Amino acid sequence: MNWLKIKYALLTVAIFLPLFWAFVYVRNAYPVATWNVMMAPGLLERGRSYWILRGETVSGQTIDIPPITLTNAMYSRTWTMVNATVANQSFKIPNLHPANAELLRQSGGLEQLPPGARVPDLLRAWGSLYNERLGASSPQRLKAIRLDMYRWEGGSYANYDKFIESWRQEL
Amino acid sequence: MGVARVVVHGTFLVSVLIASFSALGRLPVTILRPTGVMKYLPWSFYDRLLTPAGMTTLKVVMVLSLMLSTAGLFTVVSTKTSFLLVLFYQGLLRSFGHFNHDEMLGIYCLAVLAFTPCGDQFSLDQWWKKRKPIARPSFAYAYPILLMQLLIAWTYFSSCLLKLRASGLSYLSPDNLPSLAIYHSLDNLHDTAFRLAFWLPQFKAYLPVVMVVVLVWEFCFPLAVFFPRWRWLLLGGGVIFHLSTLFFMNIFFPHQLALYPIFINWDRFRKTD
Repeated sequence: MNWLKIKYALLTVAIFLPLFWAFVYVRNAYPVATWNVMMAPGLLERGRSYWILRGETVSGQTIDIPPITLTNAMYSRTWTMVNATVANQSFKIPNLHPANAELLRQSGGLEQLPPGARVPDLLRAWGSLYNERLGASSPQRLKAIRLDMYRWEGGSYANYDKFIESWRQEL
Repeated sequence: MGVARVVVHGTFLVSVLIASFSALGRLPVTILRPTGVMKYLPWSFYDRLLTPAGMTTLKVVMVLSLMLSTAGLFTVVSTKTSFLLVLFYQGLLRSFGHFNHDEMLGIYCLAVLAFTPCGDQFSLDQWWKKRKPIARPSFAYAYPILLMQLLIAWTYFSSCLLKLRASGLSYLSPDNLPSLAIYHSLDNLHDTAFRLAFWLPQFKAYLPVVMVVVLVWEFCFPLAVFFPRWRWLLLGGGVIFHLSTLFFMNIFFPHQLALYPIFINWDRFRKTD
């Protein structure tokens, strides 16, 4: 019984001590989490950018493609994956992937790197996944896939869709 | 406690079964930003893993382990392997996107179950060995349940305190909820595309009251651990809260909701039988 109490006490400390640390310092360091979901208030004045994934079919249609239908394992994290990819976040970490380090060297540094340097790779992966589900002669196959960026400037509950730019990938 | 094992491990088993790991393996490894302890793994490992074949192998191993731990077979080992595999997989997902919190509570519950005797009852181990339940003090089973309930309560309670600490009363601004909800309803990158958020601005004068109710509910959630009479009210509030974030913000925490049955006293049903 005493050993059981000691074991459970150790388990409690091992779980809750890091959680208290994360709470005090408001830091998420996987697997230690602090529940800071929507901690900061939403400000109407603050503008926000967002993205829509679209495909251009061989029959000439432009269709919306929710990425959750392509990579459902990313569930609830797709929007921040796109945010981070557009912002070149994978080039801003201390330990770069060798291919990213090489691209950075060729570009001449982070400042010279265009926004969304890896977006074409992401679009190619999504476009291939979409087309593989269709027959070779399907008119719904994509000839190109694109990520359209919009901005809601804020300040009012209107004008949500100011077009900013687009990344397009031929397939 | 066997039921708690089935609930927690079964939730992750279903989650893994419906996820396409091979599609995940098609994402470019160059957009990965390893988070937390995931930083300590070398890039050569990620290069090998993030392929359709590598991810499918991971899925097969995870499904096998989670099936064993859910059913309670080789529980002492399978609960630990399931915990470690889920811990790794969730870290991988967070290395692509952001540190979302839905599954984190479940990961901590997996940790509790991995180091407690959750296979003594309601398990294939018990049936296979045709043994009587091992005689342990009731504390051996009651405390891990309490620990998991406290973890659930902590998620809401600490979330309330952090909101008040970071934003103070400005959190109750009439524009807080509509602006956040609309932002999460504009793209097609969220998992759902509900548009109810666009109704909120016309009711924004009343929304601070809603925010106060949410904060009070989060603050009071620990009462569900210690006062069973309050439990159903607070858990019911949780169901309404999570469904509201789904329909108004396209943000959903299904893994967290799936853990609510940990608050049910399953022994009571057994005695009734």
